[in-house]
Amino acid sequence: MAKEEKKKGGFFKAVQEFVYGVAAHDSARFALKTRASMEHLFILITMGDMLGVPILPPYYSLRLLPYVVPQISTWKRRMLREKDLTDALA
Amino acid sequence: MNAVFVLILGFIVAFIGYRVYAKYVDTKIMKADPKKATPAKMYMDGVDFMPTSKNILFGYQFKSIAGAAPVIGPIIAIQWGWLPAMLWILAGTFFIGWVQDYSSAMIAMRKDGASLGGLSHKLISPKARIILLSFLYFYLLLIAGAFGNVVVSTAIGLKAAPMAWLFMTIGGILAGQMIYRWKRDIVLTTVVTVVIALFGIWLGTIAPSNKIIGDALANSRWVWAIAAFVFCYFAAVLPIWRFALPINYVASYIVFLGLLFGIIGVFVLHPNFTLPAYTGFSIRIGPIWPIMFVTIACGAISGWHSLVSTSGTARQLEYETDARPVGGGVMFVEMMLAVFALVIAGTIYASSAEYGAAIAKGPGGVFAAGVSKFLGALGLPADTGRSYGSVMMIVLAVTIMQLVIRFMRIATSELLSDVSPVFRNVHIGTIIASILGMILVLTGWWQYLWVLFGGANQLMASLALMLVTAYLMSEGRPAAYAFYPMIFMFVTTVAALLYTSYNLLAKVFTGAVKGEALVGNTLMGFVGFFLVIAAIILAVEGVRAFNRYRAVQAQPAPAKA
Repeated sequence: MAKEEKKKGGFFKAVQEFVYGVAAHDSARFALKTRASMEHLFILITMGDMLGVPILPPYYSLRLLPYVVPQISTWKRRMLREKDLTDALA
Repeated sequence: MNAVFVLILGFIVAFIGYRVYAKYVDTKIMKADPKKATPAKMYMDGVDFMPTSKNILFGYQFKSIAGAAPVIGPIIAIQWGWLPAMLWILAGTFFIGWVQDYSSAMIAMRKDGASLGGLSHKLISPKARIILLSFLYFYLLLIAGAFGNVVVSTAIGLKAAPMAWLFMTIGGILAGQMIYRWKRDIVLTTVVTVVIALFGIWLGTIAPSNKIIGDALANSRWVWAIAAFVFCYFAAVLPIWRFALPINYVASYIVFLGLLFGIIGVFVLHPNFTLPAYTGFSIRIGPIWPIMFVTIACGAISGWHSLVSTSGTARQLEYETDARPVGGGVMFVEMMLAVFALVIAGTIYASSAEYGAAIAKGPGGVFAAGVSKFLGALGLPADTGRSYGSVMMIVLAVTIMQLVIRFMRIATSELLSDVSPVFRNVHIGTIIASILGMILVLTGWWQYLWVLFGGANQLMASLALMLVTAYLMSEGRPAAYAFYPMIFMFVTTVAALLYTSYNLLAKVFTGAVKGEALVGNTLMGFVGFFLVIAAIILAVEGVRAFNRYRAVQAQPAPAKA
């Protein structure tokens, strides 16, 4: 019985995920891409402080710094990855 | 033959292809390993590289590859008879289609999530990447032209379609506003906007375009070509969440519901094929080989899929073993969509003459008539069903078109910004792409345009198979399952492009065409020749790479100390 219920839940979950994939996954990815662009901007603003060279008035960029630091590793991956035109398609 | 038998045959081919052939390649040749870390896990950046459930990716891949092409191809190809068209759909998918989709996702995964350009750089040569990218621009131009033509002919042939299209657009824009600006619940947003789109479909039946803007404008190709490219212009320059994505979101429900109930309708009516099984070797657009093989592109094999598989799907696969259901499985589902389109075209007309009169006006009318008939079996009035089918056709075409114009805008900026900074401007890039697309739509005969698009699309697929072969050779694995399909597709598509381009340019140089047709034939002819030359250069680079890998494999293994 429990196994059957699990199977049922599994099937409905699969259908739910499929519908999400068809209808909304692309939107979610583009929303994430937009957020990533904003993060790049924040990192750019605080870059000077990370390197010890204040570019903006330090107060504001220092306030932003704690929010940016956890993103640095993924930012590096995105920035250093080789890209070409076909990246824009998907 | 009964249509249900054809559908069941399709299911059997899909089952054997997926459970036997694809499983063999996956386990014995590619050796997919669920324990191996995929790029989605290794390089997770929360954006492009992100481990995602295979069910979600199944839906994502299906939505990304299933545009208008798997529907239109069989509707045109039935001119040679439904039997050769059906055999090519089934055999093409079984031996070539899924191989390309699945394998391109696998090699992208094995090469750190590289895109098609990156793969050609790594596996073939740096020159191969540059040629591939310029090839892509003209390939996408042909997509814009071929799909634009479908939108225009559908809007002219089915007067309910423009109103339904307008309401779909309004629903989509509202969906974007509700989700991203007003932060409304997704279920409420979906219900409201899908109901708006459905209302537009019904409204189209009582307020057709000729009653609103008059017969002259409603039958003008210029009007609907401008409408289509203005639509694409907004999709290319506005933030993607404001226009393109939410319209796709609403449209996906309309298309999905239409297909689901349409297939149920086929089972309810279980009609017989009324068109002949085989009409002859040669028809107006050309001989069965190579032209029919490129006419049915996406339903059998399509290069577009390799772009999606590499740049999108491969970076999100959580396990290597997910590539078979997502890459291969979705191709078999698309094959069923093509079979459904074949059933529509083959069963709804009483005679070849009736079908001939309908197809002369464009494939949209044939598709809409079929959707109307099969939804009618479930109780939907014929007029509303036709309106529903027409908007499905427009949506399937225009959602790919808007993506293509957006991409061409980016490509213009990348390729020409060194020549002049003006090409970096988003509006300039979009306008250039739109004007080129519009010229094709307004001057080219749609069946030739479709053949050229199909040829370019499948040539792209053979180039993707070349990358797969190069990868397998570089790893010392058996490459025959990708190599022979690559050779077949390369020869077929080059022959089709040369045949069509020669015919087009022969008419130009002998003075057989004048005015608009002269412009269309010249442009299409030269684009076709350019694609052939680019493909031959790529093939030469590919052969050099194959020889390189063969030489490496032939070297004796270094002695162990």
